Amino acid sequence: MKYKEILLILALGLMGTGCSNIENSRDLGNPNVSAKTLAAQVCSNCHGLDGNSTSPVFPKLAGQQAGYIVSQLTNYRSHQRLDPPGSEYMWGLSRHLTIEQIDGLADYYSKQVPQRVNAGNVDPKLLAEGKEIFEKGVPAENVIACMACHGPQAQGMATFPRLALQHSNYILNQLEIFQNTQGRPGTPMDAVVHPLTSENKHAIAAYLQAFPD
Amino acid sequence: MALVKNKLQRWCLPLTSFALGLMTLLAIMAPMQAQALPAFARQTGQNCVSCHTGGQFPELTPYGRIFKMTGYTIGERTVPLSVMGVASYASVNNVSKSDTADAGVSTTNSSSDFYKNGEPILATGSLFIAGKVTDNIGAFTQITYDNYAQANADGSSSGHTQADNMDFRYANRLIDANRDLIYGISLNNNPSVSDPWNTAAAWMQYVPVPSPGSHQFIDGKAPYPGFGSGGNIAGLTAYMYWNKSIYAEVGAYRTADGAFRFMSQGMDDTSITRLNGLNPYWRLAYTREWGPHNLMIGTSGMLANVYDNSTDPTDSMAYNQIRNTGVDAQYQYILDPHTFTAQMHYMQQVTNYSPNTLAGASSFFQADGVTQVDPYNSSDTLNVFRAKLAYTYKAKYGGSLSYFNMTGTTNTLNQTAGFVDTSGQITMAPNQARITSNLSGNPATNGITYEAFYIPIQNVRIGAQYTAYATYNGASDNYDGLGRNASDNNTLFLYAWVAF
Repeated sequence: MKYKEILLILALGLMGTGCSNIENSRDLGNPNVSAKTLAAQVCSNCHGLDGNSTSPVFPKLAGQQAGYIVSQLTNYRSHQRLDPPGSEYMWGLSRHLTIEQIDGLADYYSKQVPQRVNAGNVDPKLLAEGKEIFEKGVPAENVIACMACHGPQAQGMATFPRLALQHSNYILNQLEIFQNTQGRPGTPMDAVVHPLTSENKHAIAAYLQAFPD
Repeated sequence: MALVKNKLQRWCLPLTSFALGLMTLLAIMAPMQAQALPAFARQTGQNCVSCHTGGQFPELTPYGRIFKMTGYTIGERTVPLSVMGVASYASVNNVSKSDTADAGVSTTNSSSDFYKNGEPILATGSLFIAGKVTDNIGAFTQITYDNYAQANADGSSSGHTQADNMDFRYANRLIDANRDLIYGISLNNNPSVSDPWNTAAAWMQYVPVPSPGSHQFIDGKAPYPGFGSGGNIAGLTAYMYWNKSIYAEVGAYRTADGAFRFMSQGMDDTSITRLNGLNPYWRLAYTREWGPHNLMIGTSGMLANVYDNSTDPTDSMAYNQIRNTGVDAQYQYILDPHTFTAQMHYMQQVTNYSPNTLAGASSFFQADGVTQVDPYNSSDTLNVFRAKLAYTYKAKYGGSLSYFNMTGTTNTLNQTAGFVDTSGQITMAPNQARITSNLSGNPATNGITYEAFYIPIQNVRIGAQYTAYATYNGASDNYDGLGRNASDNNTLFLYAWVAF
């Protein structure tokens, strides 16, 4: 019987050698796999094929600023972005991405169209408060308006991320991280969000998710 | 109150030594955490929570399921080795009312019905060879060493190593704006081990079960849905997952002999499961995800012809035909810092006994010592229902509540205790331990398991389970005919589960 086992192992080994399927590869250590393939075969598992993630654990990347995506992937790759759960997922996935792959992913997602999340009924008062902070900030606390950097349509610019239609849960988590941790160093957000109350943060998150057309 | 105090005193020393041992183990391992992750985590570079819900391995997240279905090929090839170990402690509610207890056999003797009761043990260790091979091929294989596998005549015990779960895959994914199709084949040795949901028979029972007698009533030994063929057989299945909506898998299993003998390695020729020909397996599931919610509703089944006697796989009168049909469902809510999982599985097993089996006759009598019990049924139906709710917080703290209920037809074939004609006294079938014997021939067993666990670092899970039986082997009281009650089997089980 031994020779049969050896034959089986050899056959499996043969199947395993030289079998490269670059068009449908999930290999994160191969610089020849295109960004589009990685987006479809790997990133889509959490972020959706078109960057519209279903689960609010994962940020929507559709329509995101290319410069921002590049900066975040680079920060994950160099472990400069530390906040969980992002780092738990992204440090490993980004560790051997090449500059070309990162640029390609940024280009791919920036060209996708963000879809609106059906959030059900949201308290209009909360949305109004979010709109107020987005457009005017909280002057009494010297909190500047979100739109000052993120744009009047919350569309972002360069390394300032697009916020419009993002999952409110994700926005809220990031505000908590900026306010209470050192997980995302090197941005002005730590100081900006410092005075925000819990209600402020919920209001901003709800408004951005439901951002009007 | 005195009883509680006595129990506390009895558990105090073992619990303390268990805790001290565990702390030492953790102290040794803690500095290794950053480098020493299991093989799949090294391959993807990700934290365990990416694939395991709230870190409670082996339950998979939606991402973990895709990782599995795409043949363990996400990431980059790395050293495909991991090890896993389980330390445990079990204490049975009543260690009297047993043959060995009556004979004065100490629980430190391997022949005791409650061997190692109240003692911390290093129970099992597994070696995994697992990971990506090519863009389309990957594997998950497990070899397990059981420290207490064999009881020796001198009262000691010996360890043994055996092939555990094995799953070799080829998978591909075609995904674009119009469709998302994952398809592949799996060569595996356990029906449903290839399944990505943790309500599958091969996965719903999740804590490794140590073998000493003291552990025979822990949750892992209470009824779980399972296929009548058991594991360590060889199967090839083909599967597809379409638009993250429909999962379908079909395949067939045969005896793990010849070229497939490595899938039952560690078992001798007389103890491997012998199947007649190819035995079909199928699985169908519908899934849906919305927001942080994920739902699966599915069904599975298998037809297996299992020989009574594994040494003679040629006798057409000597195999049972077993038909399993199950429905299962799983709901997951995953949103930091909470995860919530609800699972259920109902499995029906119909066994048509072999002519050779039916040719036998029960040696037991009715209580009058004169009337013989009914002859064997030609077939039996067994229904197993399991439901479990689990919650984790910050992937560190968690708990679960499980309900199990097994019912089935009453058959004298299943009767392993009964009256003898000469004296009208109760006796056991040969080689039957009184504590697991069955006076009624009815398999009904049900109860609840409560569990709390703590995940101090992602590679370690420490848990406590308490399993309470309302019914055991057809009765709540005196199920063996000699006074043992279902609640006597209630068991406290502590475990420390480590994987690197």
